[in-house]
Amino acid sequence: MLENFSFRTIVEYLPLFGQGLITTVWLSALSFVGALAVGIVLCAMNLQRGWLFRAPAKAYIDAVRATPLLAQLYFLYFGLPRLGFVLPELVVGILALSLNSGAYVAEIIRAGILSIPRGQVEASVASGMTYVQRMRLVILPQAFKVTIPPLLGQAIVLVKDSALLSLISVAELTRAGQLLASDRFMPAEGFLTIAAFYLLLYYCLKGLAALSSRWLGTAGART
Amino acid sequence: MTKTGMIDFRGVNKWFGALNVLKDITLSVEPREVVVVCGPSGSGKSTLIRCINGLETIKDGDLIVDGQRLGDPATNMTQLRTEIGFVFQSFNLYPHKTALENVTLAPIHVRKIPRAEAEQAGRELLAKVGLADKVDAYPAQLSGGQQQRVAIARCLGMRPKIMLFDEPTSALDPEMISEVLDVMVAVAEEGMTMMVVTHEMGFARKVAQRVVFMDAGAIVESGTPDEFFSHPRTDRSRAFLSKILRH
Repeated sequence: MLENFSFRTIVEYLPLFGQGLITTVWLSALSFVGALAVGIVLCAMNLQRGWLFRAPAKAYIDAVRATPLLAQLYFLYFGLPRLGFVLPELVVGILALSLNSGAYVAEIIRAGILSIPRGQVEASVASGMTYVQRMRLVILPQAFKVTIPPLLGQAIVLVKDSALLSLISVAELTRAGQLLASDRFMPAEGFLTIAAFYLLLYYCLKGLAALSSRWLGTAGART
Repeated sequence: MTKTGMIDFRGVNKWFGALNVLKDITLSVEPREVVVVCGPSGSGKSTLIRCINGLETIKDGDLIVDGQRLGDPATNMTQLRTEIGFVFQSFNLYPHKTALENVTLAPIHVRKIPRAEAEQAGRELLAKVGLADKVDAYPAQLSGGQQQRVAIARCLGMRPKIMLFDEPTSALDPEMISEVLDVMVAVAEEGMTMMVVTHEMGFARKVAQRVVFMDAGAIVESGTPDEFFSHPRTDRSRAFLSKILRH
């Protein structure tokens, strides 16, 4: 059975895989930055006392978490042009990933902030700090530490989710596998190769997570 | 208009749901006065002092602190809080900041004191509470007693007019209680206006002008430490004292 497995074809297609990998990396990175921005705004809205900001944020987070990413992607890709917004596939893809991941990021950040003991808020309130001062000086620096590991977990999810962009013909890693599969009828070679590349990306992010937790671990020991 | 004290409760009521946690409290604390508040668990003594800096809000009655009525639109609560130091039972130091940074954080960012000046003052305060050698230590590296002394220094760094203490020694091991009480005595002797929720009778006798005994949300008895400890007037205060003084 292995004699049918063509390493030669894989090597031949390597430049294509390489391009796909690079596209996956930068579009995931960009989407993650977008997700952080979306997440911070949503989380800030969600932590307000009045429902005016909180209700829309909660509705958005629920809507994103309750529906498949594929449906969201198709809505943006096929639906937006009907509403008069025509955007390139790549932009739609990054937008979809940012908006989707942002909802999860918002919940991660919120959990981080809520994990800070009530006494920290009270101590900073009692010393006369304003809301912005106590967020900036007391709450966020502590929340940041507990938020980093789950945020990297979300980044790993985002990289895998970016495979869906192949369905709107973004030339990323999965798309490269699909091309090999359809051009040469070699799905095993195509998809096994991209799996290996995803694994590589996974280990890179995991290494980053380990590094950050070691760094945060030493920082934590000082506290 | 009657003369107002530094802290003036006039017919203050507060509810947690259906529970009347503060019942018609009337109490006036004069400048430089030290008042000890005691009473059984759940009697409302912590709630009483938490109202003074707005950590709790009152339902009705008037609470006037340093001439400003709480809840009044003209009262800037954030500004007023800078005049009131609050020491917590659980210290609540900032774990990501050193002892010195804990002391200088609010002076630098809230009082807008230049950093060098705030650090100079911070070092002096830490020396005053006996922690000159711990300025660069993080809270996790300090004992409970040391943390509470940093917390007191943190309040003093704001140069407050009033200091409130909410069971400052209740979370401490017995051998650390006196080091914290010594610092509190020193603060009291400098003429600070203080309200202290505590059962430390030695402290009360030494520096308090008045002891207020609370039960079930109401002030049941109030008098000088000598009167209160030697001749409690009500059954409830006698019962309470017999429990805390028995051993």
